[in-house]
Amino acid sequence: MSFVRIRAVMQRHWIVLHRAPHRWFEISVWPVLDVLLWGSLGAFVSRDTPDSQAATPYLLAGIVLFWTFTQAQFSIALGVNEETWTRNILNVLTTPVKEIEYIAGIALFGLLKLLLCMATLTISTIVFFGFDLSAVGWSVIPIMVLLVINGWALALVVVGLVLRFGQSAEILIWGFNYALMAFSGVFFPADALPDGVQALASILPTTKAFSALRTVLAGNPLPWDTLAASLAGSLVFFFGAVAFATWLLSVFRRRGFVTRYS
Amino acid sequence: MAPSGDVVVARSLTKRFRDQVAVDRLDLVVPAGARVGLLGPNGAGKTTTLLMLLGAISPDAGTIDLVGERLPRHRSRALGRVGFVAGYLPLPENLEVREALMIFAGFYGLRRPKPIVDAAIERFGIEHLADQQSRELSSGQRTLVSIVKSTLHEPALLVLDEPTASLDPAVAGRVREALLGIHREQGTALLVTSHNMREVEILCERVVILSHGGIAADGTAEEVAAAFDTDDLEDAFLQIAARSRTTAGAEDGPAAPGVWRP
Repeated sequence: MSFVRIRAVMQRHWIVLHRAPHRWFEISVWPVLDVLLWGSLGAFVSRDTPDSQAATPYLLAGIVLFWTFTQAQFSIALGVNEETWTRNILNVLTTPVKEIEYIAGIALFGLLKLLLCMATLTISTIVFFGFDLSAVGWSVIPIMVLLVINGWALALVVVGLVLRFGQSAEILIWGFNYALMAFSGVFFPADALPDGVQALASILPTTKAFSALRTVLAGNPLPWDTLAASLAGSLVFFFGAVAFATWLLSVFRRRGFVTRYS
Repeated sequence: MAPSGDVVVARSLTKRFRDQVAVDRLDLVVPAGARVGLLGPNGAGKTTTLLMLLGAISPDAGTIDLVGERLPRHRSRALGRVGFVAGYLPLPENLEVREALMIFAGFYGLRRPKPIVDAAIERFGIEHLADQQSRELSSGQRTLVSIVKSTLHEPALLVLDEPTASLDPAVAGRVREALLGIHREQGTALLVTSHNMREVEILCERVVILSHGGIAADGTAEEVAAAFDTDDLEDAFLQIAARSRTTAGAEDGPAAPGVWRP
């Protein structure tokens, strides 16, 4: 691994962000709209049932952590897609940059974007609804780490599919995200899902992470057993995604798909 | 420092796309500092060969040693001494020229790229382009900047896929001068594909003509023309192209009748 090459990848994506105002939307506009949407829904529910787990703090905490997952996913998936959109993938593939260095560069840059997004979310939840997730304390950090691992894993799956099926598969960057939002119990416990879906939800590491979040918000200590189960599932998902993306990258090279982008 | 040894050693290189044989048991050796033109009718396997030599496409069979490094295992190390320019490839459109050069210098692992980039901009006389957005460049300017980008790390081998395609004769002439200058000053080997026979005669001391993925002729332009009893390289090429059309679909490996090698 070369730090110089990783740093160059980060610089490349910083300039993309710096130059394109619309790229700031995923950091500073869409998260705020989500805060308004879910915070208002929570405020509405709170009028009748203030102690409900569908009240403002739960929905806002859910959306803040969902954006943690989303930013981690977007950073890698959109980072790789940036090279396909600008037909730069062959330029990159013919330099010494290794795949792992490229992914490391965009993942690290994604963490910077995540920090900016968290700042946006924290300010907007405080200003609009007087809710400060950081008041919960350090307990949310391990939950966020789990969601970042899952975001990276999902991104690698999507990147693999884009390499294999071409740019038409890009839609999955956004689609998979919302599928996981539905199945992971971001705003409600998994047992609120329809019977047939609960089994799927129960095995997702993200479901356990959001469950741990609700436990903490209810004033209880971190459920370490739930976190441990989520960590195990997250690592299985992550390394499975690495294997999947590596396999599809080999298919990409074997079938000459790079010529689609040149 | 002038490189020594062979910069390309490809043995029995074979690539099929479904039932179509793109490259058929190709043997190609490019000595250090040589200037070799890789010619052939459309679909002869030129670009596939180049992309295999660069590790962007995996061969089905055969071996590749690039600047003394075996692919794919040492792809990153090898590409640290190889540059790639394609007339059809854009630079990342959202970067200024200087930024793009800085980033690619980083991709090549150059630790202190600024003086190298500044020197390259001066040497190629593109100071007036340095602060322009890549998307604002003309085709000729883009090709020139691509050459600068691909030579920042003083490669032992420069691979050029149709470098002057779509350029007017004056600009194409300047691009050729730049390439010959790099070859003279740094001893860089050139491996060039082109459909412009005149260009190949100027740029290359040896031509390899591909047909149906195999070698149909290999020698100096004069030797190839003489072997096909023609006045010049273009007529020899036309003969090979005509033969290629009549034998399309038939087995036409490197040992087909009419094949000439020095």
